[in-house]
Amino acid sequence: MKKSHLYLVGLAASLAMAGTATQAFADDEITRGQLMAASCKACHNAAGAEEGVPDLARIPAGVIESQMKAFRDGDRDATIMDRHAKGYSDEEIEAMAGYFSRF
Amino acid sequence: MHDFTRRNFLKVAGVTSAAAFAGIGCAANGTRGADRAHVVVVGGGSGGATTAKYLKQFSPNLRVTLIEPNATYYTCYGSNWVIGGFANMDFIAQSYDNLRDDYDIEIVEDRVTAVDADARSVRLSGGDSISYDKLVMSPGIDFKYDDMPGISESDAERIPHAWKAGSQTELLRSQLQDMPNGGVFVMVAPPNPFRCPPGPYERVSLVAHYFKQEKPRSKIIILDPKDGFSKQGLFEEGWNEHYGDMIEWRAGSDGGRAEEIDVDNMTVRADSGFERVRADVLNFIPAQRAGQIAHDVGLTNDEGWVPVDQLTFKSEMDDNIYVLGDASVAGAMPKSGHSANNQGKIVAAAIVRELSGQEPINPSSANTCYSLVTPDYAISVAAVYQYKDGAQAGVDGSGGVSPSGASSSFREREANYTRAWYAGITRDIWG
Repeated sequence: MKKSHLYLVGLAASLAMAGTATQAFADDEITRGQLMAASCKACHNAAGAEEGVPDLARIPAGVIESQMKAFRDGDRDATIMDRHAKGYSDEEIEAMAGYFSRF
Repeated sequence: MHDFTRRNFLKVAGVTSAAAFAGIGCAANGTRGADRAHVVVVGGGSGGATTAKYLKQFSPNLRVTLIEPNATYYTCYGSNWVIGGFANMDFIAQSYDNLRDDYDIEIVEDRVTAVDADARSVRLSGGDSISYDKLVMSPGIDFKYDDMPGISESDAERIPHAWKAGSQTELLRSQLQDMPNGGVFVMVAPPNPFRCPPGPYERVSLVAHYFKQEKPRSKIIILDPKDGFSKQGLFEEGWNEHYGDMIEWRAGSDGGRAEEIDVDNMTVRADSGFERVRADVLNFIPAQRAGQIAHDVGLTNDEGWVPVDQLTFKSEMDDNIYVLGDASVAGAMPKSGHSANNQGKIVAAAIVRELSGQEPINPSSANTCYSLVTPDYAISVAAVYQYKDGAQAGVDGSGGVSPSGASSSFREREANYTRAWYAGITRDIWG
């Protein structure tokens, strides 16, 4: 399941688009948002969750977006996520938020 | 079974080219041009294992082989917890079973002795060769014992570096256990750049934690060629709070620069010979360079590290070889397991995109580094990086260290996150 998951998502997305071959190819590419989201998976995965760090695969994209912005803007208390969140623009946060559930 | 002939290799290459040229038509079937290519990854540490896993995540039909001589990998991160006496070796042991069974990565338990870059093949110690379309090398570090008079690599059996985890970790731990109360633990810290910048200072913290419980009259002296170190203010705050004057750090400009080690007498000469420091347990962490195989292949610069295109971590010396992790020159990114993990994802994406005829993308990546001062008191440094003007650079306004003067509950939360970080990153790499 794991190893084919990403592929299947990509394929499903391609089929759902039912567009031109060019569109299908574009969807099949690794994107910047996807690669940035992969970076976060170092801590934010199922094993980290057992020790108290949220597994982002289980959190809706909208919540990830709002919480990253809250960490960045000082609206949410943090030990380390404020320091991370300050490295991302609104566009970058939005670009990666949707990918976590796909890994 | 790994003995690929030149002809087989050409066949593989032919298939790759055909797939790449098929381009869009291929993608419409849900496969990528990269799918049939063979990527060989040398080194199963944080950088290599991450690259292998994410290659398969990004491009499941790609053929990926991971070559690593050890069946069990002991992480350097967490090894100070073993030395401090509150974790065992099993806790920091990682296996390749999941990468093989769940990700269909071929695991070859062997050592690479040579790379034929022209023929695109690696030779193993057993004599077999394996051909590749792309080669990824994550060889870690080796030591420059020649930089320190009086000591050589074979002395590590008596004077451990414990800077590659495994038997060296156990050796240092057992020496500390055997040391009498009132003894002196001396660490000779390495010059920059080296693996895990806060690591030496976390280590003395956790040795102090052990001494405080079991051998409270003991002393710790750090002889450092440097005049400063990672998270220095926070470490010193924690040392004062928990260990009083047990730990003495001597800066390079203040007599801390070790000049010779007398192995038989367990003595370090420093400060132009004015100082002779005798140790009951001596931890000499030598100056470092990229792992030997990177030198053998001709990938290193005059300083002994591997220059790469920091956007993709492709070697500046060879178009089909990528080098990441501690061995690479990675701009502002420290030599850390977390950096290697992030670089592995960058390399995996760069290879899949290149094999598909696509331009590299410029992601951002991160480093998160926790250090325990006690098992319940941690400090951290974090950073976000982006490729800019030819190098990985910190993103303005991001990152930094834990606040000074924070409450004990803040430090305890970071200690809990330290354990969470370990659980998370080891799952991300080997899980």
